[in-house]
Amino acid sequence: MASSELVQRPEVAAAAPVATRRLGRAEGARADRRPRPTLSPRVRRRRWLGLAYAAPALVAYGFVVLAPILQSVDYSLYSWNGVTTATWVGLGNYVSFFTDPALLESLWHVCVLIVFFALLPIALGLISAAMLGRARQRGAGVYRWVLFLPQVLTSVVVAVIWKRIYGPDGPLNSTLRAIGLGDLAKNWLGDFTWALPALGVIGTWTALGFCMVLFVAGVAAIPVELYEQARIDGAGPVREFFAITLPGLRGQVAVALTLTVTGALRAFDLVWITTQGGPGTSTTTPALLLYRKAFLNPDVGMAAAIGIVIAAVCLLVALFINRLSDEKDA
Amino acid sequence: MISRIERTLNHAVLAFVSIVVLFPVVWFLFTALSPSRSGQLDFRHLAWGNFAVAWTAGGFGSAMIASAVITIGAVAGQTVLAVLSGFAFGVLGVVGQKVLFPLILFGLMISAEVFVIPLYYEFQAIGLTNSWLGLIVIQIGMGVPFGAFWMRATFRAVPPAMIEAAEIDGARSWRILWQVLLPISRPAVLTLVLLSFMWTWNDFFLSLVFIADPSIQPATLALGVFQGQHTLDVNLLAAGALIVALPVLVLYALFQRHFIRGVLSGALKE
Repeated sequence: MASSELVQRPEVAAAAPVATRRLGRAEGARADRRPRPTLSPRVRRRRWLGLAYAAPALVAYGFVVLAPILQSVDYSLYSWNGVTTATWVGLGNYVSFFTDPALLESLWHVCVLIVFFALLPIALGLISAAMLGRARQRGAGVYRWVLFLPQVLTSVVVAVIWKRIYGPDGPLNSTLRAIGLGDLAKNWLGDFTWALPALGVIGTWTALGFCMVLFVAGVAAIPVELYEQARIDGAGPVREFFAITLPGLRGQVAVALTLTVTGALRAFDLVWITTQGGPGTSTTTPALLLYRKAFLNPDVGMAAAIGIVIAAVCLLVALFINRLSDEKDA
Repeated sequence: MISRIERTLNHAVLAFVSIVVLFPVVWFLFTALSPSRSGQLDFRHLAWGNFAVAWTAGGFGSAMIASAVITIGAVAGQTVLAVLSGFAFGVLGVVGQKVLFPLILFGLMISAEVFVIPLYYEFQAIGLTNSWLGLIVIQIGMGVPFGAFWMRATFRAVPPAMIEAAEIDGARSWRILWQVLLPISRPAVLTLVLLSFMWTWNDFFLSLVFIADPSIQPATLALGVFQGQHTLDVNLLAAGALIVALPVLVLYALFQRHFIRGVLSGALKE
């Protein structure tokens, strides 16, 4: 009997004799996929022990996350103001996504935010990662510390900082006045046209450093030989970027895209603290409508439907982006 | 070999982006130290007293205590559950793991808005709204996916020979976890603790939904209220914001590597 039954890894093939281990990966993988009855009683007992260890986490997760998600689905099929009896409306709440102008408008806002939250920081991050080259930089630690800083600041503080910057006599307007562009000065977050882009820039600022740190780390993992080969072949920096750097960063770009796009879909804290969706409805987001409909002027079923749709879209986006980056991999 | 021009260019790019990122924060820091209510920068008269004034005016004393209690409770709970479930999924194996583990990973892509509404009514029914305990329970449950994922990966990276050796010595599962796995996984546990500290401390949405009573609200919520009331005291507002951000900033300054590694590898796993 091998001594290491406790180790559950397939690649170690713990309970198997050494000979089996040499059979190679394919064999091991197939054996692993076979139905469970082949497990020795000891391993099976061990797995019940494992279940006991995992139980507290599973219970907490089921209670706080899984069960309420199922309830959300249920809620979303009703029209309910939180007090009186709920009426069944079937998929009515979901149909509102195509008919309710407020909701449609918030979806359009998300599209605008995606440009600022996702596309812009990723493009800028890629450009700077390409310009940085591959040298180990002196002071890299300090730069990384600074670039990553917005990630650890709580959203409330980020919002307060930028509210100040955009304020009527904040630094942005004073700078504009100082360089003779005083006509452009305005209350940025109170302006129907500019409030949404202004919010977007906050997202760009937050994500830019993250993308850069991610991409620079990714570039460092690309084999040097590829770059040397490209230079020998006479590739210029632009071709080098498109032929080597960009394909090499596929995984990192996928991650950055997933995180920032879902971030835009979920935008709440920033919007709530800076504009509360205003002026008018010019900066509403689905998450903001969800909060209002769930807790301020209750239309609970609709709010639950919004939550489900946000989550489903985020899930689809994540799967789609991962699929895309995997496919190119093959 | 890289040329000097290339090196200078590198520094120029990094310095430029760093300034873009840092400028708003530094500006804000000096706004917090400004003696005037309008927040005009005045480098010769730094008003350190602003922090004390903001502390009292915004009720940050009790809010920081609330945040500390919630965060410590949530971090302790999350860490224990992460270690136990990571051990189960990474080393022991779990009955039904082919279903259970993907179900847990699914949670990595889910955020609060999809379960917060039923949870609110459920908690209202059992008296967990408007309570620190309620928030702690939510944070613990939400932290399971990342914690289980993180500690499972950590324990799987431990050389199996170490576990085998302990088994030969007759160690039971509990002793293997406690005396073999945990001691060598200390850096990973520290990373987990730091990340869950940051995520809990920085939370705004859940507190907004579940805490209505101003006397027990955590710091992020208190700052949200404060910024609504003190729009004219820009310097105090900035000081208050820095007070709220400080605990995480201090940890970030001390454990930079853990934060960056944790967030990046957490993001890269999918």
